[in-house]
Amino acid sequence: MAAATSSVDSQTGSGLSSNLRFLLRGLIVAAVVAFIMSLGNVNIGAIGQGLAYGLAGVTVYLTFRVLGFVDLTVDGAFPIGAATCAVLIVGGQSPEVAILAAFVTGALTGLATALIDIIFKIEGLLASIIVITGAYTVTLHIMGGKSNVPLLGEETLISRYSRDFRSWLVEQFGDQMRRQSTNLLEIILFGAIVIFVLVILYWFLRSEIGLAIRATGKNPQMVRATGLNHNLMIALGLMAANGLAGVSGALVAQQFGFADVSLGFGLIVRGLAAVIIGEVLLRPRSVGQFLVAATAGMLIFDISRAWIFSALDLPTTDIQFVSALVVLTALGAPTLYGRWKSYQQRHSN
Amino acid sequence: MLSLDHVSVIFNQGTPNEVRALQDLSLFVDAGEFITVIGSNGAGKSTLFNVISGAVEPKAGHIELDGRDITHWPEYRRSHDIGRVFQDPRLGTCPGLTIRENLSLAAIHGRRAGFRRDVKADEEAWFIEQLARQQLGLERRLDADVALLSGGQRQAITLAMATLVKPKLLLLDEHTAALDPNAAEQVIMLTQQLAEAHDLCVVMITHSMQQACDLGDRVIMMNRGRIVFEIAGEERKNLKPADLIDRFHSLQDGTELSDAQLLS
Repeated sequence: MAAATSSVDSQTGSGLSSNLRFLLRGLIVAAVVAFIMSLGNVNIGAIGQGLAYGLAGVTVYLTFRVLGFVDLTVDGAFPIGAATCAVLIVGGQSPEVAILAAFVTGALTGLATALIDIIFKIEGLLASIIVITGAYTVTLHIMGGKSNVPLLGEETLISRYSRDFRSWLVEQFGDQMRRQSTNLLEIILFGAIVIFVLVILYWFLRSEIGLAIRATGKNPQMVRATGLNHNLMIALGLMAANGLAGVSGALVAQQFGFADVSLGFGLIVRGLAAVIIGEVLLRPRSVGQFLVAATAGMLIFDISRAWIFSALDLPTTDIQFVSALVVLTALGAPTLYGRWKSYQQRHSN
Repeated sequence: MLSLDHVSVIFNQGTPNEVRALQDLSLFVDAGEFITVIGSNGAGKSTLFNVISGAVEPKAGHIELDGRDITHWPEYRRSHDIGRVFQDPRLGTCPGLTIRENLSLAAIHGRRAGFRRDVKADEEAWFIEQLARQQLGLERRLDADVALLSGGQRQAITLAMATLVKPKLLLLDEHTAALDPNAAEQVIMLTQQLAEAHDLCVVMITHSMQQACDLGDRVIMMNRGRIVFEIAGEERKNLKPADLIDRFHSLQDGTELSDAQLLS
């Protein structure tokens, strides 16, 4: 009996052994990815970029998996966050304030989708397409009518520390590190921010409100029967999710050194790929593991895309097509694998 | 306690598919009373529950609970006073959440959800006691995902959760119909225990004439959106399933006859 109980507990991901196994799987995947990177001569800049985009992967996990809400708003919330951040930094605000503001504007974008869904009973897919369309104009207006706001010479999180970090790095490890100093700094800064955000999100999802949001996606009837307004939970969930997309946009703007109205294009597809890559490779079982898996999925996505680019020596004009191919692989591979398995089973007897 | 005053529910009004699910139905349930509801499919039993719980709004009539007119309250607002257990065991608990997390959700009942995390110690203790009494071993598996449990186990948890916050009224919608005989018996025993221990007002829909005779103080038979008979008091005490089945059939014949007459 005791053995049976413990095996059930490990399936739920609550036990220590589940977290250990998840960690082990993560280390193996990380080792394989690192090997591929070194083999394909992939620049470690892909890691920083993957971390900056990682929270957008969490956005898609929250909307599609937790809320069960087909939401494309991330495509609009992301550039709005980037624009908010860039404009505030140019206006002399600190990068931290700019990132917080990007969370707020991203969350408001999510709220717009939620309100359209709740008030007009328009389904999430259509509601979010309407919001993305409108968000394009809002993004342009935030940027003062321009389609691009450069951050050259402004104080971003990266430029603030880059000089000190570079001289420290060169002092410690020699001159060959000079070239990688910005990339390394991005990995450290974005890694710290992502971890910080994920910890807060984990705590939020395990609070009462978080429980109600999670239950809304699985069993809205029970949420109503518990005396909670399930529409409110959808709104809160979409706000939290798209707030993260805004933060992601703010990080990417600081990394790229500009905000552009077209930054969010195709992000939803990448986010979906990130969620699925994370699920397939890391097999998360609990909420915390799912959050890590979605972020890691985005990281792996960006690295594999960079690897394909360097391996095939492609021009940057082909970037969206390569994205589409990587996403198709991530989405299609599990299905193909399943078919192949059942084909084998049918022919083995 | 609960009173329905000339309540009517009509679906698809004004179309060829018009269904009069409840027709001018009046019902009064006293505090602490346990009522069983029987009737054929489509008699309006589930609609009766939907209208009491607020999932469906009546076309006419008033619903009062504890002296307050709740006719137009949204479902989530009534749920503080009204607990409900469905036939489908999947509806009462949330998969993807552990038993403990389901409990936390149920414990929010009737107040605002906050940022606190842990279940209150006394609530958890009470809940564990309820689960332990069921002898299913669930009290040792609080961190197991509810999706891994059987229908009977989930229904037992639902029942314990529904009574955690002491509702005024408990609606049981054929809550044992999807369970195997063993689990059904367990859940019925649990139902009785809970109703007696908390002096709950219970309305239970059932297709089992045995259950209708064994449980509660009053039997109501519904047909075509109306209450066609009630058995209470002395007559109810001596009621046997065979009697109920007889009355059930005589009624069915009667309606068929009147249909034939109407059509001729």
